[in-house]
Amino acid sequence: MLEIRIRHVRQVFSTPQGEWTVFEDLNLEIPSGSFTVIVGPSGCGKSTMLRMVAGLLHPAAGEVRLGAFSPEEARAARWIGWMGQSPALLPWRTVEGNIRLALEVNGRSLRPALAVQELIELVGLRGFERAYPHMLSGGMQQRVALARTLVSGPRVWLMDEPFAALDALTREQLLEEVERLWQQFRATVLWVTHDLYEAARLADEVVVLAGRPARIRARFSIPDARPRQDERRIGEWVQVIRQALAGGVR
Amino acid sequence: MSPGAFLQAFARLVLRTARPAQRWLRAMLSLALPAALLAWELAVHAAQVPVYLVPPPSRILAVLWTERAFYVQATWVTLGEAIAGLALGMGIALGLAVATTFDPPLERAVMPLVILLKAIPLVAIAPILTLWFGFGPIPKVLMTALLTFYPALVSWMTGLRAIDPAALELMQAWNASDWEVFRYLRWPSAWPYTFTVLKTAIPLAFIGAVVAEWTGASGGLGRAMWLAQTNLDMPRLFAATLILAALSLTGYAIAGWGERRVIRWGA
Repeated sequence: MLEIRIRHVRQVFSTPQGEWTVFEDLNLEIPSGSFTVIVGPSGCGKSTMLRMVAGLLHPAAGEVRLGAFSPEEARAARWIGWMGQSPALLPWRTVEGNIRLALEVNGRSLRPALAVQELIELVGLRGFERAYPHMLSGGMQQRVALARTLVSGPRVWLMDEPFAALDALTREQLLEEVERLWQQFRATVLWVTHDLYEAARLADEVVVLAGRPARIRARFSIPDARPRQDERRIGEWVQVIRQALAGGVR
Repeated sequence: MSPGAFLQAFARLVLRTARPAQRWLRAMLSLALPAALLAWELAVHAAQVPVYLVPPPSRILAVLWTERAFYVQATWVTLGEAIAGLALGMGIALGLAVATTFDPPLERAVMPLVILLKAIPLVAIAPILTLWFGFGPIPKVLMTALLTFYPALVSWMTGLRAIDPAALELMQAWNASDWEVFRYLRWPSAWPYTFTVLKTAIPLAFIGAVVAEWTGASGGLGRAMWLAQTNLDMPRLFAATLILAALSLTGYAIAGWGERRVIRWGA
């Protein structure tokens, strides 16, 4: 497991309208093995932050560290698990082939954290090993993507609105599965969403990002026991996060 | 009846009639070719059109049968040239497309030359190639390669770049090398384009071989056509044309069959 430290990060994008400062002086520490959910309005820089942690984007100033390592070193060691809004499955590979891809890329064969078959069962895809992605529903495709993220046993999960495109029922099932799998793997999770319910369900810590340039408007822990099934309690947390987004809690 | 219900009823009616109409259309189309041939035959006899203008289909088929040994030999010559030229043109196109994928600025250096080559008319190149390389197969192979190279290059360059950006981002998060992105993502993404290349390039390959043969050759269908044309021997000219059409159709069908066999992921 690795803690994530973002120190004095500045990030600027050049646009035809001029320079756009996404972050001016962003500081954030995410404890090792914690489940942190980043919420904030669209376009506030949540995904940019995730990309910087993954080393896919370099900050203009400041630094990002994963434990003692740079994002590039963590990436080279295959400690980073990445999952986006689109499942990004390769249409010419079967379910099993897509999951195994995570073990094939990067020059050397990684040992699976769990046997591929076991993982397929864990995400509820037994019997679909030989199916191609176009034969699967959106929810099943995201399950494959989830299994692919986890199969190499990454120490950090970077999740960019992974369930945003799914219907409510499928999302609910997948949230349960993610929680269960996370408790098994105990990785450091950075989860971006604008679904407040998702945040209240999953987070150890919620980080509310807002403004231009984006600042951390609020940060608080949700100490409730897991699995969280008390809808009234989750609803209360949703209210707290909503108020924080509106600028009520600091 | 509400407008919604009316629309639904109308859609049902259209769907119910569309299927039999489709079947009828397909049956008509399968009869179209024999019907056209019959009409051609009858019209030529009725109007007493001289055979050096339009020969009747029966005459063309008779020529094909009586001189089958000659046509089989000519077909082999042209087929060999077309396949060799196609392989050369597609091979160079693939090499260049892959090279520009690994080194995108190369595209800016190469494309003006490619366009220049493409802009020179075939009829101007063919005699020059014959003059340089003689009556043997080399100018035909080169001509075919020149003709098939361009569509193959453009299709493959498009195919190798047409990748899912989310998949590329994932590969980057796994620290994949350029080679791995090519091997796992770009190359398989380009497969459907390979079959598009084949379907476009196969008919072009026969045109290239025949045009080159026309400007001077010791054998082949193009040579047969040139001889027939200079002697005003229309049945022989039409016979060779018929074989060429059949070759193109067969090549296209083989490419389509290969596509269905290989691309099984619903692309």
